[in-house]
Amino acid sequence: MNGKWQLKDHEAERQLFNRRLTAAGIVVGLLFAALIAKLVNLQVQQYEYFSARADGNRLHSQYVPPARGLIFDRSGELLADNQPIFNLTVVKEQVPDMEAMLERLSGMISLTADDIEQFENRLRRNRVPYTSVPLRYVLSDEEKSRIAVNGHLLPGVAIEPQFVRRYPLADLTAHAVGYVSEINREELDRLSDEERENYGGTNHIGKSGIERTYEELLHGRVGYEIVEKNNRGQVMRRLDRTDPVAGRNITLHMDAELQIAAEEALGDFRGAVVAIDPNTGGILAMISKPGFDPNLFVTGISNKDYSVLVNDRINTPLFDRTTNPYPPGSTLKPFIGMGGLQHEFVDYDFSIQDPGYFRLPGVAYRWGDYTLRTAIGGGHGRTNLQKAIYQSCDTFFYDLGHRMGIDTMHDFLSQFGFGDNFALDISYARTGVLPSRDWKRESRGEPWYPGDTINSSIGQGYMWATPLQLATAAAIMANKGKVVQPRMLKAVDGKPVEPENNNPVPDLVVQDEDYWRYIHESMTMVVHRPYSDVFRDYGTAFEAIAMADRDMPYKMAGKSGTAQVVGISQDILSSTDIEVSDLNKDHGLFISFAPALHDAIKPQIAIAVFVENGEHGSSVAGPIAKAITDKYLLDILKLDFDVLDAEAESMNQLISQAADD
Amino acid sequence: MINQDFVRQTTGFYQPGKGGSTIWRSLHTDPPLVIGLVLLGCFGLFVLYSASDGDSNLVRRQGLLMLVGLLVMFVVAQFNVHFYRRWSPSMYAAGLGLLGLVLAIGTEENGAKSWLNLPGLPSFQPSELMKFVVPMLLAWYLASRPLPPRFKHLFWAALMILLPAALIVLQNDTGTAIMVFMSGVFVVLLAGIKWRIVFSGFIALMLVSPAWYLFLAQEHQKNRILTFFDPYRDPTGAGYNIIQSQIAIGSGGIYGKGYGNGAQSHLDFIPESNTDFIMAVLAEEFGLLGILFLICLYLFVLVRGFYIAYTAKDMFSRLLAGSITLTFFFYVFVNMAMVSGLLPVIGLPLPLISRGGTSVITMFVGFGLLMSIHTHGLRNRS
Repeated sequence: MNGKWQLKDHEAERQLFNRRLTAAGIVVGLLFAALIAKLVNLQVQQYEYFSARADGNRLHSQYVPPARGLIFDRSGELLADNQPIFNLTVVKEQVPDMEAMLERLSGMISLTADDIEQFENRLRRNRVPYTSVPLRYVLSDEEKSRIAVNGHLLPGVAIEPQFVRRYPLADLTAHAVGYVSEINREELDRLSDEERENYGGTNHIGKSGIERTYEELLHGRVGYEIVEKNNRGQVMRRLDRTDPVAGRNITLHMDAELQIAAEEALGDFRGAVVAIDPNTGGILAMISKPGFDPNLFVTGISNKDYSVLVNDRINTPLFDRTTNPYPPGSTLKPFIGMGGLQHEFVDYDFSIQDPGYFRLPGVAYRWGDYTLRTAIGGGHGRTNLQKAIYQSCDTFFYDLGHRMGIDTMHDFLSQFGFGDNFALDISYARTGVLPSRDWKRESRGEPWYPGDTINSSIGQGYMWATPLQLATAAAIMANKGKVVQPRMLKAVDGKPVEPENNNPVPDLVVQDEDYWRYIHESMTMVVHRPYSDVFRDYGTAFEAIAMADRDMPYKMAGKSGTAQVVGISQDILSSTDIEVSDLNKDHGLFISFAPALHDAIKPQIAIAVFVENGEHGSSVAGPIAKAITDKYLLDILKLDFDVLDAEAESMNQLISQAADD
Repeated sequence: MINQDFVRQTTGFYQPGKGGSTIWRSLHTDPPLVIGLVLLGCFGLFVLYSASDGDSNLVRRQGLLMLVGLLVMFVVAQFNVHFYRRWSPSMYAAGLGLLGLVLAIGTEENGAKSWLNLPGLPSFQPSELMKFVVPMLLAWYLASRPLPPRFKHLFWAALMILLPAALIVLQNDTGTAIMVFMSGVFVVLLAGIKWRIVFSGFIALMLVSPAWYLFLAQEHQKNRILTFFDPYRDPTGAGYNIIQSQIAIGSGGIYGKGYGNGAQSHLDFIPESNTDFIMAVLAEEFGLLGILFLICLYLFVLVRGFYIAYTAKDMFSRLLAGSITLTFFFYVFVNMAMVSGLLPVIGLPLPLISRGGTSVITMFVGFGLLMSIHTHGLRNRS
């Protein structure tokens, strides 16, 4: 036993150990108590907070976009429907390196600089974090499978099906039906908070035409769903869902068949056609040619395609010719003539001896007759209102206009919708110009000169009207003053509706109902004058229409017009390009309604045709109106004029018998 | 070498031979400990099944591992604890040798070069061996010296602890190094080291730690410390784990969301949900009550461990039993505190609950030693 061992006191050491063990036990207890305190803090005191955090982690509310309402024509043909496509979308927050990802993607699918630029624009827009943003639309099957196979290399990238707008008639409805395209910043800013909420799941908004006018009806209400996502953003379950309310299906008065016919009738010309049913005001056809393919805009038109459209200064396909004004020319004459009768500046017996020009009293300047400017000289001879209309005698109207004065003319013409927009749901249509003293003073700061009235009285000078206004006026004329305001919308979800009318227009009442018959007759003679050997029986419309179709079963009332080209820029005028020099040619116009002067049936269609640089109203625009009328009355409505004529005949017999008795 | 310790027995505090525990004693088995461990293991497998999204293969493997662990425990318990005591210096020397060998020819896994592939043996981690060899050696060393230990003994003890710990740090396995270090420190603490020394050591550590942080700490270690104080400084990066695990725990509430309904775990928001962060799954699905149940199971095992240490008949057994029990506690506490945000994130599993390999076996070796301490002494006496 050496000293080292002697020092050991086992009992004392055991007690020391036991004390230490007890101390350790106390520490263990204290630490467990601290742990439990922490857990109570987390699980009891902060339970609400963490519970909300946990739900926030996994629960995501997402929008379910509503299906956009379909657009039908009057016979149920689709003008706009929804077609499924597959888009490549990206959730920015889940992409570790956007540049590398885009690089990788462009190796798999076609991805242009344009696509990437537009994608970056979309990312910059105000958007909810963790939502997917489209990078490329319309993936092909091959591209889809390439993305699917490489999915693991592309975090945050997904293929999402989407319904997009498709316009089966493409160019033909580009302006009237319009198109949808991606919502831009300004449009989002324009929306109220509530509306913006409603567009949460929608990428598209109506940009023009019907799509824009009836955006509210077509869009529908957004739905919501609450989904559970894992930490990689994959949707695991759908927990709750508020179904979206699909947009309403709308039916237009437009007739697709007639729209096609109108486009064909225009042939190679640029121009516009507006056809209205005078009984309802429904717009049967409304086309501006050339159009463009609205389908291009739906998924984001490429800069290249867009610049082609914008830079085509000759065809200006984006310009809507139906709702932009041109000088109406002689098409205005029946309306001014009507004003003359109403305000008793002329009657059925009134006539002038036309020397071929007009002079204001005390003014040496001669206003020539445009109809005669290529003829040998001289005038229309003895001319009454009827002849002045069917021969389109300028001198007669110079005289009439001068005597009426611009104010009377303005007030009377405004009842036909000139200088105004009678249309109920074409708010974007321009109003043209129906000049007056006040108008000139306000807009030009100049007094009204007597010569201004002379120009206005043959639809030139300051007078501007859109093809839509001309068709409207023709319809009111056909209706004998009963105003029907033009409208596109016929029915919503199959139920006929009357579009909202913020500008109700009273009917046009004249002193003597017979005035209408008189003007109708005059206009019918434009088209149907019996062949005459009389020297200088001017006017070519009847040659081009009634004489070209001697079996024409109905009568058409019409009036041609020729409008001088105004405001073409000098560089276009001086161009040596043949096509460009055509731009200097006059515009041809024609208004018509049919069947005219029929006792058994009222007029069914009123048309305005505008042919850009067509040179002649009567010979170019007239036959176009005739072709469209034929199509509508004979092919679409399938009117049997043998039966109708017989009906009229028997009615007339009854009336004359009654008169005899 | 005859030791006085061995001869002197406890002073009648323990009443042997009561009840029917003689069969267990002859099998060298401590039923309360075994029951506690089996309950913990079963609960662990149950939680693991949910945490792994119903991966029954994984659960079966883990169950098998536990059975192997129990077997190892029984085998270890069959040897008298003094057999281990006698061999502890040799085992320590061998362990150091293996650690050196690992540094030379070890293979790397999960960033730590701690595996040894010796021909004819399954690959294993020598650092795991040190978890029980180091306390054994210290118990052997200090038990035969007067207690409280003198300064020179403490010096040698410190060397015995730091040498293997340093070698393990060199393997880039800080977690295991900490466990080895602590298992040794527990022996020293239980041996009655003066509180004065303990506190001055603690204060020295406090003073040194800023210097460590500024000059020695690696970037990821600094990050862990910063994240501990403010997880939201990088909520999707370094702070993600702790934020998500706190959300899981907190959203579990008192009663939990129900078995298999933990959204945080099943939607993969909890990282490492099978291993280090499995407590978050438990807390989410079973709530505070579930955690308290688990703590009770642990306490049951710990109390048994303390009891075995308390009733052990010689200082070596006491020190070893106390150290094993405290090390087990240390594991449990560090993991739970880390997952709930009381401590910085250190990669330590939750014993008997987390999925894991070698450390489970090591732990059962420890419990085997406990059972050996408890059962052999009695037989010796009767």
